[in-house]
Amino acid sequence: MFNYLVQGIFAGLIFSMVALGYTLVYGVLRLINFAHSEVLMTGGFAGYFFLHYTIGSGSVPNSLWVTMLYIVVGVLISGLAGTIVAIIIERFAYRPLRRRNAPKLAYLISAIGASYFLLSLFGKEFGRYPSGTSQPFTDHVVFTLWGGQFTMYDIVILVAAVILMVTVDVVVSRTKMGRAIRAVAQDAETASLMGVNVNRTIASTFALGGFMGGAAGFFVAINQGIYFGMGFKPALLAFTAAVLGGIGNVRGAMIGGVVLGIVMFTPIYWFGQPWLEEVIAFSILVLILLFRPTGLLGERLGRSA
Amino acid sequence: MTPPGPQVRKWYQSLNAEDARRMTTAAGGGIVLAVMTGPDGSLTQPLYGFQQSVLTAHVIGYLLFGLVIGCLLTYRAKVKDGTWRRVRTAPKRTLVERLTSIKSALQRGMLAGSGLLSAVIAIVVADFTGPVARNKMSWHVLGHQFLYTRTYGYLILAIALWFAVVNQIFHLTNLRIQSLPRTVVAAGALLSILVFSLTSDPFLPARFGWKALNPSANNSLFHHWTTYLWLILGALGTASYLFKRRSSPKIAAPRRSRTLVVTPSMRILTYVAAGFLVYEAPKYLSLYWQISLYQQIGVFCLLAIGLNIVVGFAGLLDLGYVAFYALGAYVTAYFSGGLPLQPPFHLNSFLVIPFAVVIAMLAGVLLGLPTLRLRGDYLAIVTLGFGEIIYVLANDWVTVTGGSAGTGTISGFSVNLLGIHYVWNPSNPLSYYYLMIGILIPAIFLFDFLNHSKVGRSWAAIREDEVAAQSLGINALKYKVMAFSMGASTAGVAGVFTAVKVGVLFPNSFVLSLSITILVLVIFGGMGSILGVLIGAIFLQWLPSYLTFHSYFGYQQTDLYLYIGALLVIMMIFRPQGLIPSRRRRREILDSEAGLGSADSLGPITQEQPS
Repeated sequence: MFNYLVQGIFAGLIFSMVALGYTLVYGVLRLINFAHSEVLMTGGFAGYFFLHYTIGSGSVPNSLWVTMLYIVVGVLISGLAGTIVAIIIERFAYRPLRRRNAPKLAYLISAIGASYFLLSLFGKEFGRYPSGTSQPFTDHVVFTLWGGQFTMYDIVILVAAVILMVTVDVVVSRTKMGRAIRAVAQDAETASLMGVNVNRTIASTFALGGFMGGAAGFFVAINQGIYFGMGFKPALLAFTAAVLGGIGNVRGAMIGGVVLGIVMFTPIYWFGQPWLEEVIAFSILVLILLFRPTGLLGERLGRSA
Repeated sequence: MTPPGPQVRKWYQSLNAEDARRMTTAAGGGIVLAVMTGPDGSLTQPLYGFQQSVLTAHVIGYLLFGLVIGCLLTYRAKVKDGTWRRVRTAPKRTLVERLTSIKSALQRGMLAGSGLLSAVIAIVVADFTGPVARNKMSWHVLGHQFLYTRTYGYLILAIALWFAVVNQIFHLTNLRIQSLPRTVVAAGALLSILVFSLTSDPFLPARFGWKALNPSANNSLFHHWTTYLWLILGALGTASYLFKRRSSPKIAAPRRSRTLVVTPSMRILTYVAAGFLVYEAPKYLSLYWQISLYQQIGVFCLLAIGLNIVVGFAGLLDLGYVAFYALGAYVTAYFSGGLPLQPPFHLNSFLVIPFAVVIAMLAGVLLGLPTLRLRGDYLAIVTLGFGEIIYVLANDWVTVTGGSAGTGTISGFSVNLLGIHYVWNPSNPLSYYYLMIGILIPAIFLFDFLNHSKVGRSWAAIREDEVAAQSLGINALKYKVMAFSMGASTAGVAGVFTAVKVGVLFPNSFVLSLSITILVLVIFGGMGSILGVLIGAIFLQWLPSYLTFHSYFGYQQTDLYLYIGALLVIMMIFRPQGLIPSRRRRREILDSEAGLGSADSLGPITQEQPS
């Protein structure tokens, strides 16, 4: 059982990273960004191509430092790809509507359209079949604790996710950009009167979420391979995580992801049906909405991270 | 004589950065279109698709298309804001006078240039729609186009286009040349449409034999319904042109209202004509189109008008609509004993319909109540999750649904009542078609009635201002859940119809992206307008089949969602109310853009913070 718990925690870290993108955009625009799954997918493809053209199908690097270099550069490239796609989405699917002050329904439809466009474009240009990714390290069980196996992946993901999430937290709560994001989330009109460039702040919110989504895509790619529809499921679960933690709440999204992972994976120990995990996650989403719609830590639309 | 004014600026001097942006976007759109229609790439050759579509001649036609669209958009915007004006002060002259009066080299150059441009456009269009879909624009293939008579149809179109271009240029440059006489334009349009309908068919060489005009021949022109389509379109276009010109007043008069006054006799006549068409026309179609008329068009019309209740009437967003469709289909399978889980009793498929309605409705209420209580936009993602769950259950819960191997056979429709015995045979698609019409028409009238009843007015009130509606005693939650579950039950009925016709169900026919297909049907025609949704659904379901059938434009079925996604974004940016909008919905969207009320019931964009 502890093994499933461990699995859940590390799957949950990925959800946390993706959930940050949802929660930031929801905080600023009050909109669910349906195209966020494609940010993750783009990150995954960028990671694939980076590893494919550097490592290729050749031998896995056996030096720790080389592995670390691959991972750091890979995360940066994937994150950058995610950032670019997120900004493109904001530019073409959101900004024209915002300029016209369109109703909310229009944003959701336009985002889902952008999502399907990007997904099919990647499928068309890079083939429609799933593919494995070149590995920057060999996966093996590093140590076992109370029956829970901690593999190399888990450790890499843990370290990377913690570093990235701490960075985001600092960026949102300490920097000038973060202050602008929080100001716009609180009251866009007043913020613009105070000299905040609202359009640029919204774009930077998308960029920040996009970087995390792209980085998460890198880990999904080395763990499960790539596929043009790879973003859908993690993104859906990540939204659940964001709601679980309290939407608009940056730390809530981080905790929500891990909690969701644990709650999703642990019951498999008793039921033994892996496909049940999605059913459980979905039931959790409906139950939260029914009993505690503000999430675990409470919604914080615009208050300090 | 130039009109007196303080500053007479040339037309190009009024272009600004906004126009440059518009042109860049349009040209970029053309390049994206080239990528969309280009060949596929693969992981081993990731740049192949881009190279073959952007770095080859393939891109030229699309770039040209983008630039033309950009010019049109700029022209429209400029005329709209009054920067450019059409000047019509010249005395009336005949065509001959006009053509002989063109003297200067500039004018002749413009004439020749525009004529050349339109001829090139025509040949490019002929090329792109021609039988050789790949390797476009090579000189060899271009030359080949002249072997096909269809090219001449496009050339005729080009001449019409040229006249239009010439007219526009002269208006633009204030050369004071009147537009052509009505009769000439009308005759020209009719003639070119006739030739176009004769020639636009890909199986053309046979069309100009004596057989083509012989009504009894198998390959006759009159057996091909595209002929009628083109003729009707041409007649409509000509008629609208004629009426438009005739009504343009010489003196300042109040603008003629564009709304058509519908008398009762006209309405009845329209119904009779439509009924006749719906009853009679499918008999002349080939088996392929008869099947797709039920499977692709009929079922999806039902689904679309169901989703229209959710999106159009109630202003909510349902992205997992296909889940209810799947529920209806699997309930049918259950009651025919097609699932591993055996039912207590077997039911005739007709009697399954009420079960499917009730079950889908219950699912809708269970899903809608907790979600809609809170925030409308959560419904979108909850339904997305629900759609995925239903797919996972159908695919993996083998002991109940049969899993990915599919269900057992499902019994078809049959009647054995009061001495009437009739069995709907799957090999006769028309019998199913008429059954579908039998349920579609009552559904249309029911939903239309509902929209104009108290329920519909409540939906409109909630859409436009939820707080005000609630203060008037309208239970918003009740009406939202009602709309959601009614949409769901419609999908359930559509599921029954599909299951019965297909006979065996596979989870893969209920993938989530199908919901997006249905959503685009609703959005394209115009959410909230039943007529618009129906026309949009028929058109958008017909088009991919037609394109696949004739492999026009290098279209591939696998790229469907590429086009659907792009269409959704473009519709939302340029025309969120749809092509044939409901008047009320259109006004709501425009009002909400101006800051008056809202146009959906997803909750206000700026929300009070929970403390």
